[in-house]
Amino acid sequence: MKPVNFDYARPLDVDGALALLADETALVKVVAGSQSLGPMLNLRLVQPDLLVDITGVEELRSFEESGDKLTLGACITHADIEDGRLPDVTHGALPSVASGIAYRAVRNRGTVGGSLTHADPSADWVSMLAALGATVTLRGPEGARHLPVEEYMLGALEADLRPGELLVSVTVPKLGSGASWGYYKSCRKTGEFAHAIGAMLIDPERGICRAVIGATETRPLVIADAKGLIGDGDPAAFDSKAVTAALTEAGMRDPIERQTHSVALRRAVEGARGR
Amino acid sequence: MTQVTLTVNGKPLSAEVEPRTHLADLLRETHNLTGTHIGCEHGVCGACTILIDGVPARSCITFAVACEQAEITTIEGLDEDEIGAELREAFQKEHGLQCGYCTPGMIVAARDLVLRLQAPSEKEIRTAMSGNLCRCTGYVGIIRAIQDVIAERRARGIDAIPDGGRKALGPAGSGHAAAAESAAPRKETAAAATSKTVAAEALEVDPDWKPQTSFRQSFTVSHSPAEVWAFFGRIADVIACLPGASLTSESEDGQVTGEMRVKAGPIAAAFQGVAQVTRDEASRSGRVIGTGKDTRSKSATRGAMEYRVKPAPDGGTDVEVDVGFTLTGMLAQFGRSGLVNDVANRLTSAFVQNLEARLDYAARGGEGEAPEPAVAAELNAGALLWSVIAGRLKRLFAKLFGRG
Repeated sequence: MKPVNFDYARPLDVDGALALLADETALVKVVAGSQSLGPMLNLRLVQPDLLVDITGVEELRSFEESGDKLTLGACITHADIEDGRLPDVTHGALPSVASGIAYRAVRNRGTVGGSLTHADPSADWVSMLAALGATVTLRGPEGARHLPVEEYMLGALEADLRPGELLVSVTVPKLGSGASWGYYKSCRKTGEFAHAIGAMLIDPERGICRAVIGATETRPLVIADAKGLIGDGDPAAFDSKAVTAALTEAGMRDPIERQTHSVALRRAVEGARGR
Repeated sequence: MTQVTLTVNGKPLSAEVEPRTHLADLLRETHNLTGTHIGCEHGVCGACTILIDGVPARSCITFAVACEQAEITTIEGLDEDEIGAELREAFQKEHGLQCGYCTPGMIVAARDLVLRLQAPSEKEIRTAMSGNLCRCTGYVGIIRAIQDVIAERRARGIDAIPDGGRKALGPAGSGHAAAAESAAPRKETAAAATSKTVAAEALEVDPDWKPQTSFRQSFTVSHSPAEVWAFFGRIADVIACLPGASLTSESEDGQVTGEMRVKAGPIAAAFQGVAQVTRDEASRSGRVIGTGKDTRSKSATRGAMEYRVKPAPDGGTDVEVDVGFTLTGMLAQFGRSGLVNDVANRLTSAFVQNLEARLDYAARGGEGEAPEPAVAAELNAGALLWSVIAGRLKRLFAKLFGRG
């Protein structure tokens, strides 16, 4: 249960980190809070030559609120969000989801950027941030790229990182005043990775009605225009047939899985209506 | 080796550590602070929970080097702590411990609840303590002890501090240190190690072998069954379509040796293996059975694949593939079957793309440039499948709601 021996570097700025990532002769892994990578290292599922610890970069441990958005550095932790150490622009969505991630001892070190880059389909942020319309900013040898959160995840454990690239921040748009959201995850045990996730954002002011079904075997299913799916104001109008059809089309073969995911979304919709 | 300087239970501690040394090992092995227990050593059981910069964290998945200049408090450091003392008494009174293995982690986690939660319900306490596992006395006494301490403190007018007093942003333990770069002499890099080849062992087929995991994949290609069937007979061409696969030898009796590289995020493996290929002309079906080893992760796999080639109803060819495999060794610890399916889906999708391109090329009589495989190096092809699904979904939503 001990990792293989690796080298360790802690740069103090993003350029320093990028310089270390540019080494193509070695297997370089970026680490932030080590709450996902740590177990994989201990189990020797991952055997890197060099670990680049980005938590020394102050820029990545900060946030910026400007105009209609909030930008979180990659190393902002779940507990930072849960405890309100940064402003909430999502009517409580981010703090609420943060407080349900794993356990407090994990949330004190686990980071937003780490969770998105680890790209576990069952993790919370990829689904909720996709529902909120968040984007990630990547910096690499060819400059910066911006991607919607759901596109950053290519598949299970696979993030869209080009060689030498680093996720530096996540940008969350501020919700309109009348916006409401819902989030539901199905776990057999508190704090474990979810078996099904539903996330919903209804933001009439900005004309958004977006549904996300997460904890599939791959990237979450984002339904950008979910008006037809959830009906207008009538809770009974939730179109579970359409949701099930969408899941079938997306390759979910097990009927129980489809049902669990459909119910998770319905509960998220109910949550959004209740707010 | 890297120099690490910490404050542990109020005293400075300086040590030379390997970067891979986690905090629990540093405290226990070299500083005799054995009150911190190690249970699962991958962040699940909570026995190793300690305070880093005043907040609880898992010391088994936190590397000592990442906490340079941080303040560490272990169970030994809570001897004089007010909440610690109250919890110890309450645990004793309520029978909150039996064998004591989980207790140091329980006390550290419980102290955090007492500090942060104003008036939690029993359910809230249970939820908040769910990251700490007890395997003997059970949770009833532990929960009662925590309830008692919270109730008594609130009755004494001591309010909760919701953020536990932490003001700094970022992972607990980070943000104190200067830049660091360990200059350990680099051994053979992982990149070099995985490209080594090992001699394939002779294949022994156990007739009673049953795979642990199996799944079925099917796909349709636009070429005729005869063309597809003939193509599948050419092992080298088939291997060329499979991302990450390469052929080292092929004998006339259908025995092949080669390598299969698989990559799922940070997990990378290169299986060196040998396979036996058999084909039945009459039913246009084939079987491949093989074994492989990844020396780096000390993992082995044994697998079987059966395929059938049939005319598709709308022209072209349907190919049905049944895959079964068993994985043993390090990689088998990662038992998330859903993720394996995603990797298999991505592999199939890339294979089909490459296959179509090769069949097109063969249909043109092999003239012009041979097609480069669309996905060649190793499996890293999440985007491929998604583009297929996204297209299908768009059509579905157009159908359902009359919009594009």
